[in-house]
Amino acid sequence: MAKEEEKKAPVQDKGKGKVDDAKQTNGDKSEKADGKDGKKGGDLDLAPEELSEEDQKLKDELDMLAERLTEDDKSLYKPALDAIKESIKTSTSSMTAVPKPLKFLRPHYEKLCETYEKWPAGEDKQSLADTLSVLGMTYSDEERLDTLKYRLLAPNKDIGSWGHEYMRHLALEIGEEYQKRMEDDKDTEDLSDLTRTLVPFFLSHNAEADAVDILSELEMIEDIKDYLDENTYSRVCLYMVSMVPLLAYPDNDRFVRTAHDVYRHYKQLTQAMCLAIRLNDMELIKSDFAAAEDKALKRQLAFILARQRICLELEGEDAEDTELQECLNNTKLPEHYKSLAKELNVLDPKVPEDIYKSHLESSRTAGLTNTDSARHNLASAFVNAFVNAGFGADKLMLVEGGVQQSWIWKVKEDGMTSTAASAGMLMQWDVEMGLDKIDAFTYVSEEQVKAGAALATGIINSGVRLDGDPAMALLGDLEGKSVSVKVASIMGLGLAYAGSNKEDLLELLLPYVTDTSLDMQISAMAALSLGFIFVGSAQSDVSEAIIQTFLDEDRANQLKDKWTRFMTLGLALLYFGQQEEVDVVLETLKVIEHPMSKPASVLAEICAWAGTGAVLKLQELLHICNEHIEDERDDDDKDKKDEEKKDRSGDQLVQAYAVLGLSLVGMGEEVGQEMVLRQFGHLMHYGEANIRKAVPLAMGLISPSNPQMKVYDTLSRYSHDNDIDVAVNAIFAMGMLGAGTNNARLAQLLRQLASYYHRDPNALFMVRIAQGLVHMGKGTLSLSPFHTDRSVLSRVGAAGLLTITLSLIDDPRQFVLGDHHYLLYVLVTAMHPRFLITLDEDLKPLQVNVRVGQAVDVVGQAGRPKTITGWQTQSTPVLLGYGERAELEDEEWICLTNVMEGVCILRKNPDWEAS
Amino acid sequence: MGQNQSGLGGAGGPPGAPGDNNKKGDKKDKPKYEPPPQPTTRIGRKKRKQAGASAAAKLPTVYPTARCKLRMLRMQRVHDHLLLEEEFVENQERLRKAKAANTVTPASAGGDSDALDRNADERGRVDDMRGSPMGVGNLEELIDDDHAIVSSATGPEYYVSIMSFVDKDLLEPGASILLHHKSVSVVGVLTEDTDPAVNVMKLDKAPSETYGDIGGLESQIQEVREAVELPLMHPELYEEMGIKPPKGVILYGAPGTGKTLLAKAVANQTSATFLRIVGSELIQKYLGDGPRLVRQLFQTAAEHAPAIVFIDEIDAIGTKRYESSSGGEREIQRTMLELLNQLDGFDDRGDVKVIMATNKIDTLDPALIRPGRIDRKILFENPDQNTKRKIFNLHTSKMSLAPDVDIDEFVTQKDDLSGADVRAICSEAGLLALRERRMRVNMTDFRAARESVLKTKTEGEPEGLYL
Repeated sequence: MAKEEEKKAPVQDKGKGKVDDAKQTNGDKSEKADGKDGKKGGDLDLAPEELSEEDQKLKDELDMLAERLTEDDKSLYKPALDAIKESIKTSTSSMTAVPKPLKFLRPHYEKLCETYEKWPAGEDKQSLADTLSVLGMTYSDEERLDTLKYRLLAPNKDIGSWGHEYMRHLALEIGEEYQKRMEDDKDTEDLSDLTRTLVPFFLSHNAEADAVDILSELEMIEDIKDYLDENTYSRVCLYMVSMVPLLAYPDNDRFVRTAHDVYRHYKQLTQAMCLAIRLNDMELIKSDFAAAEDKALKRQLAFILARQRICLELEGEDAEDTELQECLNNTKLPEHYKSLAKELNVLDPKVPEDIYKSHLESSRTAGLTNTDSARHNLASAFVNAFVNAGFGADKLMLVEGGVQQSWIWKVKEDGMTSTAASAGMLMQWDVEMGLDKIDAFTYVSEEQVKAGAALATGIINSGVRLDGDPAMALLGDLEGKSVSVKVASIMGLGLAYAGSNKEDLLELLLPYVTDTSLDMQISAMAALSLGFIFVGSAQSDVSEAIIQTFLDEDRANQLKDKWTRFMTLGLALLYFGQQEEVDVVLETLKVIEHPMSKPASVLAEICAWAGTGAVLKLQELLHICNEHIEDERDDDDKDKKDEEKKDRSGDQLVQAYAVLGLSLVGMGEEVGQEMVLRQFGHLMHYGEANIRKAVPLAMGLISPSNPQMKVYDTLSRYSHDNDIDVAVNAIFAMGMLGAGTNNARLAQLLRQLASYYHRDPNALFMVRIAQGLVHMGKGTLSLSPFHTDRSVLSRVGAAGLLTITLSLIDDPRQFVLGDHHYLLYVLVTAMHPRFLITLDEDLKPLQVNVRVGQAVDVVGQAGRPKTITGWQTQSTPVLLGYGERAELEDEEWICLTNVMEGVCILRKNPDWEAS
Repeated sequence: MGQNQSGLGGAGGPPGAPGDNNKKGDKKDKPKYEPPPQPTTRIGRKKRKQAGASAAAKLPTVYPTARCKLRMLRMQRVHDHLLLEEEFVENQERLRKAKAANTVTPASAGGDSDALDRNADERGRVDDMRGSPMGVGNLEELIDDDHAIVSSATGPEYYVSIMSFVDKDLLEPGASILLHHKSVSVVGVLTEDTDPAVNVMKLDKAPSETYGDIGGLESQIQEVREAVELPLMHPELYEEMGIKPPKGVILYGAPGTGKTLLAKAVANQTSATFLRIVGSELIQKYLGDGPRLVRQLFQTAAEHAPAIVFIDEIDAIGTKRYESSSGGEREIQRTMLELLNQLDGFDDRGDVKVIMATNKIDTLDPALIRPGRIDRKILFENPDQNTKRKIFNLHTSKMSLAPDVDIDEFVTQKDDLSGADVRAICSEAGLLALRERRMRVNMTDFRAARESVLKTKTEGEPEGLYL
């Protein structure tokens, strides 16, 4: 075999063979078409005469060579075979036709196969097998797998020379054969060996997808590590990672782990770390963190961990490094956030009126909006909190006159709790300054304000950690406090330490869960807080305690309380993302004979499978929604007292949870996300009231801070629904959808709603909240639980979103529109600035130019496609919208992380020269 | 916007009676009166293509386009979801029917024939209300749910009511509507909104010419197939290579070299919708009609995608632009500008390929044939010897020839014959033989035929230039 042809052949064959393969898949019909429209017009009667001279010559020659092989003269075999191979390899053709030699040799194929059987073993026989293997490719009968059969009989090392299409075909047949053998339980070692020769070829010819596919087909994906090099690993890993959400367990796990190992091997620690976080494997995370020798890189990893709110105890010399600790604790977050605000020129506080823009509402309602002034003021307090969140300055709460001049006196009773707590959101992340300001509120005599101050303390500490554990110190002492303060403190602890797995809190809060003499509200809140703190950890102490309290007889009559759902949620959150691990709990819950056990198990299940996109789970959830639960009377909660109806409400809750579950499970994967939206249409169409109430919330849950037109169009329709609860939920969902985006369309829709509902205080309250959410952080924050290029699901964030939707799900008046509006503050766990801040290696802010544009899915695309499209060049710090990506404008700096998002550390490029 | 109640449920629900109405209906033991369908949400606005509700019903696009397992998995995922949807909807429909059966049976036992009668009865009454004859008019503007301003062909505009049985989803400004002859109220909608002229262009019956009927032109056939047919059949090949498939080709060359023949063969072979039009057809009497026709042509093509648009004799409208005072001239140029826009304008046309043919490529506007609009220019030359032989063979294969006929004589002669000339020679020879009442064509016939064809060929052209 001539060397130069080897090089040429793949390139030529790549084009010509395509049609063969297409033909194989399209079946015989298109093959005939191909034969016919090939330029020879093979099907026409005139075909023989139509061959051009060269073709005729080639055909004659091949006929002759094939003839020779069937004859007896052994000495001619070798030259004949070589000649045939030669002509196959050198043939070129358009992509519309089968290569000529293959076509001309097809009639001889059967004969040659027979000849092969007759020949004695030897080099010639192998050589013939080699040729037959190639010819087998054009043989249309798919069952025979001739290519593979003869390939296994011909131990030729140099199969790559037959060209790309041949290799692909071979890979296809290997896959099929493997399946067959697995069914028959046969040995597959020879297939694996063959595959090992195929993979390097694929990798060196830009066909990473084929390499990964064949390895995954043969369930030996781990082997890919051995074949990768500097140039190929990134594309391979990208492909593998994007396959993960579509694979079933355990394949997905193996893919992630393999990709993780590859990244580790090539020192892409940030990417490896992201995968380790996805796996939720603390050991792996620790080892990745330890593997970073470089100081700056370590800090970058710390930033990634901080974004996911993973608490890592620093060991060895790292423990001395206070700056590293600060990175890990997010301590600098308020600083960065304010620098962003300064850059964008949004430091000036806004008042709620700036958001409502009631002068734009239609004039007839202008004077009437203040019908219920305390309630209106409460809404303003929320709006003020959301809009000025984290800026540390506003015009309602933190005013000059101190507490006496502040907004809390303009609201009534329970409103004071939420209003006082809003100060916490204003000072969010800025612990030192914030605690000073909050301190003033703790000296007010009203219990509600004290409760609000406790909650505010929790909110401030959410997402950041300090050495002194101020939240613990301030809120930890619960003895002798009133119920409202206790509830607020417990909730504050939950928010402050969400995701931290802090053992101290276990001791503190567990007694509140198990003590059956306590009010359900306190116990449920304690369970919920524990759920937040140990989210996704499957902490056995907590789950046992919660289940125990379900079983307790003293508790049994309390379980009908509306707060029970938060206790079940607390249990469910423990198993967030744990997938199969949750089965134990589900079994246990089955034993409990109480209407709440079923909703609890559904809740646990959807949390466990959150973000996986598992179709089977979605199917189960839809089955739950299938049933119609007869609702004989209208939704009048007052006559819900009797036992029978209570049972039914349990079932109704099950369905509502299932609807939420659809979005929670579907949110992890793009195809699922879009398809689930279609399901919601059907659910809305066929569902009973309980399902219809949940659908808008589920739509909000599936795309928070991502105002897609098709979603808010639908929601806007629901916001005028006959059922006021559906409308209120739709309004809130619109707020979630646009949270922190300043989306003008949504803002306009909400203004219209404000004038539409100006007589309905409840709906109006919700419209105001939604307006506040849309302008959250003056358009700098996001509620999206996904980060790092939408690949990693923040459990804490998702838990926060789930909690708030759960509180609205069957009757918004029970919590948010009633006295427990402070539950809205659980959103704080999901709030995060959607910025990109660049720092130099000493963590000093650095201004560089970046291009910000729409992210493009580049998986499996040829060449080096652009990763963003429609970009604009801006200098950092910049805002990143949903689905946007940033990249550095020039090569002056090197970014230490692959995904430019959040806080990034840049390093000077040593090779860069200014031109 | 959004002032309507969402009784219809979400977007994408199957057509049928709205859930809420039915539910109420069941409770009231099947009322005689069913409320009219819910008014649509987008009254009075031009329907946007592929946006809003229909976009929600659209399936997500699946990337990457290359053949790989990832693509398969994603497709499967979409498939799974659709199955779930189907299952759910089926179950719900079944439940609903079961429920309806439960509640209805006691009320109207054996009411099947009743229902039929009633339907027929209602239909008759609707027909009465519509009256006859009905006038055809144009919907100018929708005022509210039940009123609109219409204009009739005779001129005046009316403010009229819309009958409740008219499907309001179909009403949009500019639609053709049926009007009651006395009250002029809207009683129906005519749905077809494309010009019937465009539909004529659609090829219902494929021409009989196949690639086999083309002598030679191998490289041209290959180029056309690569540029036009393959992108429609196997778009993934191009994606894999990382290139954009060509949008169109132009066939040019001397008259009679087989440009139209090749287009016919493409039409014969392809399974895509084939629209054909001649450049001169685009020149219309009224101002703006030409560009409108072009727009509609491409709109029809996009609706029936994958589609191939073949524009013959493009030089009729595609000549170079120049200052012109003649209104007709300017109109033609505007038509071409519309064509330019359709070929490579702002909107992506998707799976529409364009083939143009001309024999004067040098007179065409450079903008028309720039890459991006027309990516391939395929030259048709007069046949060389080999090709000429093939053409002769093609045409003579069905003739009864005398044994003395030797085609090679003509093939080797250095005449500048086009494919059409060859065909002319063959049929001329046949005619000559017929004149002498022979059943076979012999060599002398061919020679004479060649003479006459060559003579007329040179006669048709000016002998030289007069200066």
